[in-house]
Amino acid sequence: MSQIKIVRIHNELLGTYGDQGNAEVLAFRAKFHGITATIVDVSYNDDLPTNGDIYLLGGAEDAAQLLSLEALQRGDNLNILHLAIERGAVILAVCAGFQIIGNKFVANGQEVEGLGLLDVISVPGDKRLVGDIKTTSSVLGFELTGFENHMGRTILGPTAQAFGKVITGHGNGDSKYDGAVNGNIFGTYMHGPILARNPEFADLLLTRATGRKYAQITDPLALKYATWRRKVI
Amino acid sequence: MRLKIAVLIARFAAYLSKKILRRSGETIAGRVLLALYPKAISELSKGKKVICVSGTNGKTSTTKALVSIISKLGTVATSPSGSNLERGVAAALMQKSEFAVLEVDELHLSRVIEEAKPKAVLLLNLTRDQLHRMHEVKRVADRWAKSASTAPETLFIGDVDDPFVALALNSAAQSKRISFGGRRHQDGAVCPSCGKYLKWVRNNYKCSCGLSNSNPDEIFEAGSAAFRNATMANVVGKYLGAKSIAIDEKSLERSVDQIHKGVKANIRLTKNPASWTEALKSVTGDNAVLIVNAREVDGIDTSWLWDISFSGLSGKRVIVCGERALDIAYRLHVEGIEAEITSSFKEAISKFDSGASVQVLAAYTAFHELVNS
Repeated sequence: MSQIKIVRIHNELLGTYGDQGNAEVLAFRAKFHGITATIVDVSYNDDLPTNGDIYLLGGAEDAAQLLSLEALQRGDNLNILHLAIERGAVILAVCAGFQIIGNKFVANGQEVEGLGLLDVISVPGDKRLVGDIKTTSSVLGFELTGFENHMGRTILGPTAQAFGKVITGHGNGDSKYDGAVNGNIFGTYMHGPILARNPEFADLLLTRATGRKYAQITDPLALKYATWRRKVI
Repeated sequence: MRLKIAVLIARFAAYLSKKILRRSGETIAGRVLLALYPKAISELSKGKKVICVSGTNGKTSTTKALVSIISKLGTVATSPSGSNLERGVAAALMQKSEFAVLEVDELHLSRVIEEAKPKAVLLLNLTRDQLHRMHEVKRVADRWAKSASTAPETLFIGDVDDPFVALALNSAAQSKRISFGGRRHQDGAVCPSCGKYLKWVRNNYKCSCGLSNSNPDEIFEAGSAAFRNATMANVVGKYLGAKSIAIDEKSLERSVDQIHKGVKANIRLTKNPASWTEALKSVTGDNAVLIVNAREVDGIDTSWLWDISFSGLSGKRVIVCGERALDIAYRLHVEGIEAEITSSFKEAISKFDSGASVQVLAAYTAFHELVNS
């Protein structure tokens, strides 16, 4: 596959914490691998494209999170996501986006059913968790850094696996694990944006989305940035 | 303890701080005063006509403009250093005066309104900023609205093209709604009043719950952020009976000109996506230096650098420095702009020939270091 479609879902709603950069980093890294990437922005009133290779959701405030959920439950959108997962597409969901793709979450004091793509439920904690976070992921085999800024406490169900083990920070709220993963569906609390801070993770998502193995990229600045953040956190 | 004695002790603390530590002394004076006399803001506001200025961007320069407008009417107390938390407000109010024009931090505005019972509050704008501290834009907006609804004696003046400002003004018993013909807002996708998807037609919004920027009390032509803030300062001045001043956008930009080793540097304060976007429009020369830090007041998370399009810098010579030079360098790299990374502002400037003109966009802490050095 020399072309890839990156779907940035509801950036106007899920773009409060800089996560839109994930799409840009994916497209940028794709170029090194000889892949032509297109970023498709899907807004609240749009239907999801059926042929996306990577679907991205970011962090948001409560009201925006509820609107995004409502839009994703509208029409054929959820079915489109299920079909995408079946054909091996990747989903990366951050913070509020992570909660949306889970089974249940609470926003503006109301408990709502999520999309059920990851077996997790999220509830508000008593204290906002804000600061740098570092995890190590057995799924990836390297350390990840990012920034967390959330009230959510996420509990994993039996079919979800934790995405990262927390070294510094709080992650899902227990300071032990961050996020969840199931196949090509990734959920995390890490902003930064996560793919800017961890470009190897972007490469892994490209590999998963295309089913191809790529040669390692030489981008000294990306490596320098990622390595430095891992050292200082 | 009596207020007068507390003020005397606070003044003495400020004097010592100035003499021994060579600091401005305002923060310490305010701290000491509030520790000795917690109700100082409320007591010292009595007998003064207090005007508060708040918003994400433009507080300091608008406060300055408003002081110069109001000073034609009488003596004005203000805090010139931009110290905008309760301690700065308290220190400013120690001055004997007829008026007080106070810059107030967005999150601390409620308490200051409650205590100072201002005659007028000018709300400039509200956008994402220092989210590690503010958490959510809506959280700040809700505080403003609640505060406005409990201050019936106060006139709230603001730019209703910003939905968050409009929400606060709608909650106030007395308001003056100003519009500059409408303007898109980066955080304006959701109605802050009812939570529905906010309907925008070009630059204007109208929600089914009633929140909109239509039917303003006064409408002005569109202009830069500096123009809008100065215009609103004049509206506040007019309300108090002062004559309008000519609008000098340049002086309201929060920028300074300095010469470093023969290089002409125009240094501008940039601190969040809205202020960067505004500042980038003014980068017209060939050379730019960007300084990014991530201390408490800068915002300790740099994710927001990805909210900004730097494409306007394409083709220019761009040098980055600051504690987070790598964060900005990588963000630019992904946008196709290769910046030179340096370890200090001094090194960045040394890369240019004497006589060159350079536009410097500086993070909050970097700006203050350069201006005060």
